[in-house]
Amino acid sequence: MSTALQNLVNQPYRHGFVTAIESDVAPKGLNEDTIRMISGKKNEPKWLLDFRLDAYRRWLKMEEPTWSSVKYPKVDFQAISYYSAPKSKPKLDSMDQVDPELLRTYEKLGVPMHERATLAGVAVDVIFDSVSVATTYKAKLAEVGIIFCSISEAVQLHPELVRKYLGTVVPVGDNFFAALNSAVFTDGSFCFIPKGVKCPMDLSTYFRINTQDSGQFERTLIIAEEGASVSYLEGCTAPKFDTNQLHAAVVELVALDRADIKYSTVQNWYAGDENGVGGIYNFVTKRGLCKGVDSRISWTQVETGSAITWKYPSCILQGENSIGEFYSVALTNNHQQADTGTKMVHIGRNTRSTIISKGISAGHSNNSYRGLVRITPKAEGARNYSQCDSMLIGDQCGANTFPYIQVKNHSATVEHEASTSKIGEDQLFYFAQRGVGTEEAVSMIINGFCKTVFQQLPMEFAVEATKLLGLKLEGSVG
Amino acid sequence: MSAQGSPVRGATTPAAGYLESLLAGRPRLPASSMAWLNELRAEAVDRVGALTVPTIRDEEWRFTDISPLTKLSLQPATAPVRHESIDVGRFALDEATTRIVFVDGVHAPELSRVAPDHGVVVANLPAAAMAHTATIERHLGCHAAFRSDVFAALNTAFLQDGAIIIVPRGAIVAAPVHLLFIATQADAASYPRCLLVAETGSKVTVIEDFVALQHDAYFTNAVTEMSLADDACVEHIRVQRDSGQAFHIANCTVSLGRASRYHSVSVALGARISRYNLNVLQTADGAQCTIDGLALIGERQLADTHTSIDHAQPHGVSRQLHKCIVGGAAHGVFNGKIIVRPGAQHIDSSQSSRNLLLTAQAHVDTKPQLEIFADDVKCAHGATVGQLDSDAVFYLASRGLSDAAARNLLTYAFGAEVIDRIPVAVLRQQLEAIVLEQTASRS
Repeated sequence: MSTALQNLVNQPYRHGFVTAIESDVAPKGLNEDTIRMISGKKNEPKWLLDFRLDAYRRWLKMEEPTWSSVKYPKVDFQAISYYSAPKSKPKLDSMDQVDPELLRTYEKLGVPMHERATLAGVAVDVIFDSVSVATTYKAKLAEVGIIFCSISEAVQLHPELVRKYLGTVVPVGDNFFAALNSAVFTDGSFCFIPKGVKCPMDLSTYFRINTQDSGQFERTLIIAEEGASVSYLEGCTAPKFDTNQLHAAVVELVALDRADIKYSTVQNWYAGDENGVGGIYNFVTKRGLCKGVDSRISWTQVETGSAITWKYPSCILQGENSIGEFYSVALTNNHQQADTGTKMVHIGRNTRSTIISKGISAGHSNNSYRGLVRITPKAEGARNYSQCDSMLIGDQCGANTFPYIQVKNHSATVEHEASTSKIGEDQLFYFAQRGVGTEEAVSMIINGFCKTVFQQLPMEFAVEATKLLGLKLEGSVG
Repeated sequence: MSAQGSPVRGATTPAAGYLESLLAGRPRLPASSMAWLNELRAEAVDRVGALTVPTIRDEEWRFTDISPLTKLSLQPATAPVRHESIDVGRFALDEATTRIVFVDGVHAPELSRVAPDHGVVVANLPAAAMAHTATIERHLGCHAAFRSDVFAALNTAFLQDGAIIIVPRGAIVAAPVHLLFIATQADAASYPRCLLVAETGSKVTVIEDFVALQHDAYFTNAVTEMSLADDACVEHIRVQRDSGQAFHIANCTVSLGRASRYHSVSVALGARISRYNLNVLQTADGAQCTIDGLALIGERQLADTHTSIDHAQPHGVSRQLHKCIVGGAAHGVFNGKIIVRPGAQHIDSSQSSRNLLLTAQAHVDTKPQLEIFADDVKCAHGATVGQLDSDAVFYLASRGLSDAAARNLLTYAFGAEVIDRIPVAVLRQQLEAIVLEQTASRS
């Protein structure tokens, strides 16, 4: 590998600034009082406090899992502040009343907080540390009956909906980090698409961690009723700190009959410096339930940030003929680690799933695909196709594939294939012959490698993702 | 085992007393005249004491529940009184002029026949140790992972006999060597052992054949070690046709020298629960291995194959094809790990796991696995699980075959792809007959 390739990976992180804003930060540590404090601050009903305490008590009995291929020093859960919010007035109706410092932060990040004509088409819920600071286009969405707000607001305004669905896809005791999240989650987005409504614009949440030593524990709940459809985007960044921050989110999707949910993520948390110091631990539980017949849930993720990414966006295919999809690009560089993949659990008849995973490792990083395809005995005629490709850039990195295939129905058809490759000297030579420089050639090859995933992203995101991958790899190839 | 596939740590199992009861028969073993062998056995006994019986909470045993094995009350197999009454004729392979027979793990010279071949040693351990103790000491117990695998440790603790094959430098052994392991006693645990040392530039074909003369439960715990020096070439065929109630756990460790070639075909037909661990380590440049496997099971059988191909050095090649044909309420398990170590550039590896489910209760767990730490490599794997292609069945039906005949033919053809790779014609024909008979009875 020549230097041009090396240079392509080592692009500085552009979202690493800290916003100087007065924050209301809870003291570090976790106990039942912390949970009561969070619940109290949010003025939550008793059932939700009980939900949190139940989760906390289960969490206390659980052990931190060690089965993955990621390695990190043990997280001290008492050294984290579980609540951090910008000090400001109660939530406001107009964007103009939002703290200008915050507005400037998001301008800098390129996130539209103003409902400007040029940016029409995407409604944004903006989460800063532990709280939602603004949600755009709420009124316009309400006209067609869509509820799009922060989950704290939903708890106040639509408690019956939240109560009906919260924890039904990811139960409080599901796993160690989901239990922790259920106990201490502070904010997140809530989205409800009523029967038969096609959401007129893309919905999106933008997550920003700003406070050092805080953890972000957001909770997202998306419900699509019969025949509804929605496309949802998630983006995230954090400042550069030389300590690690924990991000343990839970995302639950529920699709009823014929509903269609498309969930796209471009994850660009701070990944630590070139020596692996600092960065976010991104330990997230994401799961979708295709509850109704003919429902469809599609996950698309572009994972470029975080010191450690450890997540498996999954689909429970319960309804007959339901469809689960997972498209992923995971890029790791320097000392980043990623252990990501999906689970497709086929329960209903004629359920189908597709998994396309592209892993790119560079530097000293380690990138693993870990996936499960389970066909239960009742899933007559289930069908799965999986493809996992890895690309290695440099000889210090690693790429692993761990696909678990469990088939208990003989009418099912499951196919899995995986390959590993590198950018060949002959490929670069071919480009050079045609006058294309190494960096551009590498970027084109990588884009070609990831194309099937990028095609699944909404337009603006696809452009963003392509750019991001180029930036991330800048200087590492050649 | 590599640290990568980090196992789910299970609680220690209450079956610890079980291991002690298995070891209880050991004091009857005579001490060997070779001090190093006594030491090796003593160390293995210590390891058995330190290890526990795996449960489904251990990642490596996640799909194979061996608790029925721990419920058996087993005795070490006793030396059978009369070998003469055993008819080995039906297991004989005409092409294999050299045959060593072990009855319940004990060498049966009356049933064996050794055709003299220039300098090639094919003998049981005590006989071979007289002239070749240095070579044996250098290899026996040095490849098998008895320090971490409780079953390999148990086998080593009981190590007193075994098949030893030493092929000297440059020797080409034309006729295959047949190692026949016969189980005759119910509720007995036997510990077959095999060591093959193929020296530089030598070539040999070895058949390990596990058969039974009765239908009750018993436990076969086999360990095989193979060492291939530079440019050596070994064909290794392994046929497991134990009784339907038997438990069969086997470990085979293969070490490959520079530019050596190893080809293995393993066929699992019998046993209620069988587990075969095959670990191949490429210790030098340019080693090649081809690993093929077929499990044909029905009723409530479980056949588990775990393989690991460790490309520790550059320029290695590996090919793997593993097939399971699962009928009845049987359960096929496959885990194939391919590791490319840092610096092991220019590895070319491909792996395929193909599984055929014949009945509604049959199920399969398969996990091909790649762990790659070098960039200039070509690695690919694939896995499929499915049923017979209905178009193919229709095609045959349109040519006048009954539905059952069409399905048998297709099932047979699926398995034949692996059996065809066996280089010993007689054995191939025997197995083809068995597969045809089994597919006919199972569909």
